[in-house]
Amino acid sequence: MNSKKKHAVSVIARVIYVIALLVIWECVARSGILGPRSSLIFPSLEQIGEAFIKNFIKGYAGTSLWIYIANSMKLLLTGLVIGILLAFILSGLSMVSFIFFKIYDLTVSVFDLLPGIALLPVVIIIFGVREEVIVFLVVHAVLWPMSRNMLDGFNATPRIYVEAGKNMGLKGAGLIFGVYLPAAASYIVSGLKSGWARAWRGLISAEMIFGIASSPGIGLFINQMRTNMNNAEMYATLLVIIIIGVIVQYGILRPIEVNTVRKWGMTK
Amino acid sequence: MSKEALLQIRDLTKIYTDDSGEKTVLKDLDLDVEKSEFLCILGPSGCGKSTLLRCIAGFEEYSGSVSVDGTQRREPGIDRFMVFQDFNQLFPWKTVINNVAYPLSLNIKAPKAEIKERALEALNKVGLSGCKDQYPHQLSGGMKQRVAIAKALALRSPIILMDEPFAALDAMTRSGLQKEMLSISESEKNTIIFITHNIQEAIILGTRILVFGQQGHILFDEKNPMQRPVTPASEGYGELWEELHHALYEGSLPAKTSK
Amino acid sequence: MKKKLIRNIVAAGATLCLCACSGNAATTGTEGAADQSASAAPAEINIAYQYGLAYAPLIVCKEKGLIEEAYKNATGSEVTVTWTQMSSGADINTGIASGSLDVGFLGVAPAISGVAKDVGYRIFTNLSGQEHGMMSRSTDINSIADLAGSNEQIALVNIGSIQHIILGKALADNGYDAHLLDANIVAMKHPDGMTALESGNVACHLTSSPYIFKEHENAELHEIKEVNAAWPVENSFIVGVASTELHDKQPALYEALCSGISSSIDYLNGNLEEVADMTSEYDGNTPEDELEYLKKGVYTVETKGIFTLATFMSENGFVETSFSGYSDLVFDNVKGN
Repeated sequence: MNSKKKHAVSVIARVIYVIALLVIWECVARSGILGPRSSLIFPSLEQIGEAFIKNFIKGYAGTSLWIYIANSMKLLLTGLVIGILLAFILSGLSMVSFIFFKIYDLTVSVFDLLPGIALLPVVIIIFGVREEVIVFLVVHAVLWPMSRNMLDGFNATPRIYVEAGKNMGLKGAGLIFGVYLPAAASYIVSGLKSGWARAWRGLISAEMIFGIASSPGIGLFINQMRTNMNNAEMYATLLVIIIIGVIVQYGILRPIEVNTVRKWGMTK
Repeated sequence: MSKEALLQIRDLTKIYTDDSGEKTVLKDLDLDVEKSEFLCILGPSGCGKSTLLRCIAGFEEYSGSVSVDGTQRREPGIDRFMVFQDFNQLFPWKTVINNVAYPLSLNIKAPKAEIKERALEALNKVGLSGCKDQYPHQLSGGMKQRVAIAKALALRSPIILMDEPFAALDAMTRSGLQKEMLSISESEKNTIIFITHNIQEAIILGTRILVFGQQGHILFDEKNPMQRPVTPASEGYGELWEELHHALYEGSLPAKTSK
Repeated sequence: MKKKLIRNIVAAGATLCLCACSGNAATTGTEGAADQSASAAPAEINIAYQYGLAYAPLIVCKEKGLIEEAYKNATGSEVTVTWTQMSSGADINTGIASGSLDVGFLGVAPAISGVAKDVGYRIFTNLSGQEHGMMSRSTDINSIADLAGSNEQIALVNIGSIQHIILGKALADNGYDAHLLDANIVAMKHPDGMTALESGNVACHLTSSPYIFKEHENAELHEIKEVNAAWPVENSFIVGVASTELHDKQPALYEALCSGISSSIDYLNGNLEEVADMTSEYDGNTPEDELEYLKKGVYTVETKGIFTLATFMSENGFVETSFSGYSDLVFDNVKGN
């Protein structure tokens, strides 16, 4: 009962917070403190709302925002799947071979620091001017933080789980799948969260810099809106980005967390 | 020494190496444990009794040999199943029943239902079949230790190694578990090697009692003469307690019982 | 006074937000809008420009303090000029609309978009015209007509950029729909585009000085001439825009601005070697290359072709507003067409 009440209060608090932000936005937009061209640079909620609908109906140059979203999501999902699989495989191999672990650990430390955008010239030479470039940048965004978390998680596996596992006859790959992976679950879940956020952000910024007009993505749409000073449409697109992000956060990642590490009492 | 002891330990030497140099924990240790024996090992902290158990279980490197049924064992295996002192030896990502069934499914080829049934049977023996679908974090420390014991029972491990399994429990829970252990050792055929700090626990549970000296040598090794069930009121309890206490705290045997 | 302070802070914040969203590292200058009263407070002016050869006169203007000098000669008092380097015309448009910038130098296409969107500025000077062109590495693509039916990719800097509009104009000049090749575009920065073309990853690259010169030297590439013809070097490429507030309320400062830029351009044209030495460091070229590139550019205050371009843009949907004449785009003092 008490926790139920606590939950209700937290929901109300968050709703009030969001409403307050919107009210502040609207006050700034309507007050005119931004000068005579306020509505151009700081559109009101009504303008943004209209632009939101217009983005989907009219889009840009006859292409609805849906098309842009679909293209982006396709590349994002491809990149995420590849990145997560690679993180599992490479981090798993690191547990089998100590030399491989040292090399991979170094690789992760180095590449995690490099902004994907800075790699663009090299990536273009390797992959050419194709969608694969964006997929590569998404993989780059998700692979390293995910691997870092998994390696940390594997290394933080309590010795007792490993010994208990060995005691029941697990070794090699069996030990990785039977003990290291589930024991690192809370690290993997937080790796998924940060990996997803970085991939989503990495995708948009990659598309803003490297836009393939034949399969246009959300980043390109934002860029077009910015170039044309369609700020209401741009903010509306940012809203779309936030909405998709929140849906993934609460619709996918959260249930994963609740059904694993929370159920298992491995996190508070 | 008997010719065909279940567990034979010969010339076991264990040296730990760290920055400060080498430390010999066990030296040329010989020990035989018979089938169905309940061997309780007492000893001061740092005497090497836990190390001995870890060597038997195959978690440590050592020189010498450990044989079960005449065959040498170096790697961990389910014929020597360890119940740790740490409550967190259960996998938090598996339910109670699955914690018991998982090692079974790894080691025997049998239909799922049969494995589940065997696991449930083991849980029944420790009185926890009602908690089978809970996760370990929902259990108390004593319950977790019982599940760990159930794992060993379900596996029907010939040798169960118990490293102070009840040391971190409160007195009430501890005494309840001792009672359970006693009845299990009477109904099952497992050989149990049980390490403890507690003299009373050793007298109540052990069919044979060992006391380790500070240097990792065996100071005292005798069959428990007391008739089960033992209580502090049982005849001879006081004398045995005194004897073990002296061995444990003075590092020598009292003059009158020396042989 | 207090209200103004709040306004300035919020405006600067909004600009920062936009810059952050863009993912571009724009260095915004000291915040603060122009002081419109111009009476007691010392005069100040905030100018944004971008990177590259086409902005060379501004380096001269900045280094030699020509706006400050012109203002001192005319009024006898000092003016503080703050120069900020930004990375896109879109950022400059936002900066001027929010009041945190008074003056910006940007491509003629975003300047026309800004006037159409009523950002609150007009063009007050031309700055330079530069060579543009499209290079191809495919033997099948030698003319706009060859490109018209193909799926070959064309790298250029951005959708809506002057390079995109030049492509549209080249298509229209040759009888095709201006948007015919929109789906073939791959948007990427000039150096990335050059890398992509030279490594064989795109068929064509539509770029401007100095990249077009570097690509001319590559024997594997050949030029598609119609593109250069659609917007030759004499035509306006970079223009200066000034807020209507500055123009209307601070005429002395506006005059000094125009005169400072005009002197900078004159100085550049008269002292190419010296200027090449001065700007080569900023542009990352050797002084010899820089001199050669400067000679190939056209630096003048007179605009050329902007009304034609604005008309083309509104007729082909690049902007939503139509313009009735040249004077819609520029302040009265500007010469050209």
